[in-house]
Amino acid sequence: MGAIRRSLEDFGQMILFGAEALTWMVRPPYRLELVLAQMAAIGAGSSFIVAVTGLFAGMVLALQGHYAMRSFGAEGYVGGFVAVALVRELAPVFTALVVTGRSGSAISTEIGTMRVTEQIDAMETMAVNPVQYLAVPRMLAATLMFPALTMLFSTVGYLGGYVIGVDVQQIPPGPFLDHTRSMVDVHDIMHGLLKALIFGAVISIIACYRGYSAAGGAKGVGEGTTRAVVTSSIAILILDYVVTFVSLSGD
Amino acid sequence: MIEVSDLWKAFGDNQVLKGLDLRIERGTTCVVLGASGSGKTVLLKHVVGLLKPDRGRVVVDGVEISSLEGKALTDARRSFGMVFQGSALFDSMTVFENVAFPLREKQRGIPSDELRARVVEKLRVVDLGEEVLELWPAQLSGGMKKRVALARALVAEPQVVLYDEPTTGLDPITTDYVDSMIVSTKERLGVTSMVISHDIASSFKVADRLAVLHDGRILAQGPPEEVRGSRDPYVQKFLALWFGKQ
Repeated sequence: MGAIRRSLEDFGQMILFGAEALTWMVRPPYRLELVLAQMAAIGAGSSFIVAVTGLFAGMVLALQGHYAMRSFGAEGYVGGFVAVALVRELAPVFTALVVTGRSGSAISTEIGTMRVTEQIDAMETMAVNPVQYLAVPRMLAATLMFPALTMLFSTVGYLGGYVIGVDVQQIPPGPFLDHTRSMVDVHDIMHGLLKALIFGAVISIIACYRGYSAAGGAKGVGEGTTRAVVTSSIAILILDYVVTFVSLSGD
Repeated sequence: MIEVSDLWKAFGDNQVLKGLDLRIERGTTCVVLGASGSGKTVLLKHVVGLLKPDRGRVVVDGVEISSLEGKALTDARRSFGMVFQGSALFDSMTVFENVAFPLREKQRGIPSDELRARVVEKLRVVDLGEEVLELWPAQLSGGMKKRVALARALVAEPQVVLYDEPTTGLDPITTDYVDSMIVSTKERLGVTSMVISHDIASSFKVADRLAVLHDGRILAQGPPEEVRGSRDPYVQKFLALWFGKQ
């Protein structure tokens, strides 16, 4: 019972932390230069690993799609299958998992180190709110960059799928592209980007909170980072189901 | 002036402060002397509003810090400068950016030439030249870090300067230098200073008043020679560790 109570208290503290960060977002001073720096770190810094992951995800989807569909002569649908799978599911989820491993852990470690070396206390004594200075720029940057990275993942993934489908598996390019156009619409793309937006906001809150609440030196920072990655990964999968369920219920 | 009245603080079952009273007059230096775990840093964090007391109050220059929240607390902190035990320099910023940080936040839009001039001026106060401006904290020695931390604490011209174990981990020459800096800062800028320490020799050098903290309470306070003559057994035993060697 004690462990459950502590987990619920911890979850409540994280919600309060996120709410505090939201209130600081709309209060001056606005720190655009910090937001841009974080957009570069999270967005540009993650683009290579996201592109590589997207490329191989698209390629393997094309292989699997061709293997499954050729038995009933539906190879032409591989393009649509790859595109739908990417934009609705794989791009937002894989991007979020990859960026959590790369940037979520970095955010948690950086803020956690600042906490245990009293840099956050120092900031407070200088009349600067650390939530506004440290968490808000990271949350805004992640919320903006996750959809951009998701689009990158989808684009590179589709190109990878096209190369495998058309050039390797010899699917005619006409049906490949035609079925993509007929099976994917703006609604599918928006569905994926909405997920990315939610993942970006939630993951950045988790990572910042785990760093901010770190205690006990290097060991505490390490534990906080591990918890940030584990909690974020689970949150991504749960939220993915919830958003998909709500979206499909609406349809 | 800093007035701490009947201050109580517990962390879980651990009662750290037990009705602590302390008074520091404006423009003087008070050293709170105590062994590790006696509650010194907890007291210091109450003075600057980083911790809230379970009971009691902290008043600094007529403002009750212990009852403030949010923006009011943030505004009240503008009158403080604090030197942390481990210096707490921002390791993602250069020396210039560290020292400029409080000034940039206090006077947003300050012209860059004025900012640089004030940073250089404060670094000179602690005997550091312009050659350190672009260094990173990781490139500084322990003594240099302490000096940069003091420059950062002083750059926004606070009325109250708080020092958390300023000489811990330093060699004797650097310790003597830091002691001199604390004294000269008080004399040149007229600030009220509170020093948390377990270094008895340093304490007698810099203090106008001494307070001995043990088990969450102040056992003796007053001018250093008066405290040295205290009849409290713990104070006698604690000070004898140093004076017994001499």
